[in-house]
Amino acid sequence: MSKHLTEWLSSYADNELRGSQLQHVEAHLAECDTCQAELESLEGLSDLLQQVPTPEFTPPERFAAQVSLRLPHQKTATPGKKILEIGWWMIPVGLLVIWIFMNTSFLVEDVLSTANRLGLLANISDWMMFGPPSAADWSSMLGQFGVLSGNSLDLAAYTEVFTRTTLPQISLQVSIALLYLSWIAVWWTRHQRQQHGQLIEG
Amino acid sequence: MECFTVATGTAISETELIKRSKNGERNAFSELVCIHAQGVTNVIYRMCGDVHIAEDAAQETFVQAWLHLASYRPQTSLRNWLYRIAVNAATDMLRKEKRILPNALEDLQLSDPQPGPEAVFSQEERTALIQKAVVSLPDACRAVLVLREYEGLSYHEIADALDIPLGTVMSRLNYARKLLREKLAQKLFLQVEAEHV
Repeated sequence: MSKHLTEWLSSYADNELRGSQLQHVEAHLAECDTCQAELESLEGLSDLLQQVPTPEFTPPERFAAQVSLRLPHQKTATPGKKILEIGWWMIPVGLLVIWIFMNTSFLVEDVLSTANRLGLLANISDWMMFGPPSAADWSSMLGQFGVLSGNSLDLAAYTEVFTRTTLPQISLQVSIALLYLSWIAVWWTRHQRQQHGQLIEG
Repeated sequence: MECFTVATGTAISETELIKRSKNGERNAFSELVCIHAQGVTNVIYRMCGDVHIAEDAAQETFVQAWLHLASYRPQTSLRNWLYRIAVNAATDMLRKEKRILPNALEDLQLSDPQPGPEAVFSQEERTALIQKAVVSLPDACRAVLVLREYEGLSYHEIADALDIPLGTVMSRLNYARKLLREKLAQKLFLQVEAEHV
């Protein structure tokens, strides 16, 4: 005879077995007196438990009235709160849009500048070019502050390019990253609070 | 107070009542309380064995449900969700009350001091003995046993209600029944699993 299947008998008695597992247990029960007795014992226990009657509880209507008295005011979402909630979720979306727009602008600017240097945009109007007019103003401004007063022309040129293009780019990227991280930090704090509330349920 | 559907003669689906309750309609929530009051109270009563504690914990269950209704997912059964809160409320209430001790079975005074096959108990004694044996089970397996035996939930429903795996439901139920039979065997001469199995 195969090994006793006592661990499956509860599930069998509860009609929770299906397919091959059910057939296996049924076949075993047909030839195993020990498991048959065990099954009868389980069924006897179930009958015994049903002997405990359900007492008279407070009628549902009265019970519901008692519960109603204990109910605090529920926080309902007002239109203003809903708008705030939508605005809250729009923050990361907006930051992402700004980031994409900014990087696209920088990329287009680089492409146009390069093309201009190569003489590919000789006929294009000046207004489409980001570099030359503002570059002159920028150089003038840096000169006033003495930034370009060193001996090295290369260093002056590098400083000019760095302060005019790279530094603003880095500043913007860092600002957007900081704003995004701050949003995540606030979201995480709110999420933790909500989870704490749900602990009461489970 | 009369339940809304009874008062108006209009049957409103549970889904609609949940939706209205989420919008803060207390009457709709009271209707849900009417529907589930007996089930929730019975689960807690079977867990603790005291009607007053059961009703108090059941009220607390519905208050918590009202407060956290926003976190209820409509895809799941409201009854199972309430049962989960009820089981936790019952456990908390028992801890606070400390009126029912884990070894309550030993406190029961039986008419026959040396029980055996010939022992004759009154029906009241018998049911009290069974009830106390259930109450003395560990919390986790008692909840599974109560939901199965008294509420007739399937294993899947129990797993859903208690948020535990199906295998855990089976093992806890096996353990609960094994413990119960051991506890009741001496008193009620219940046939116990053979030693050699």
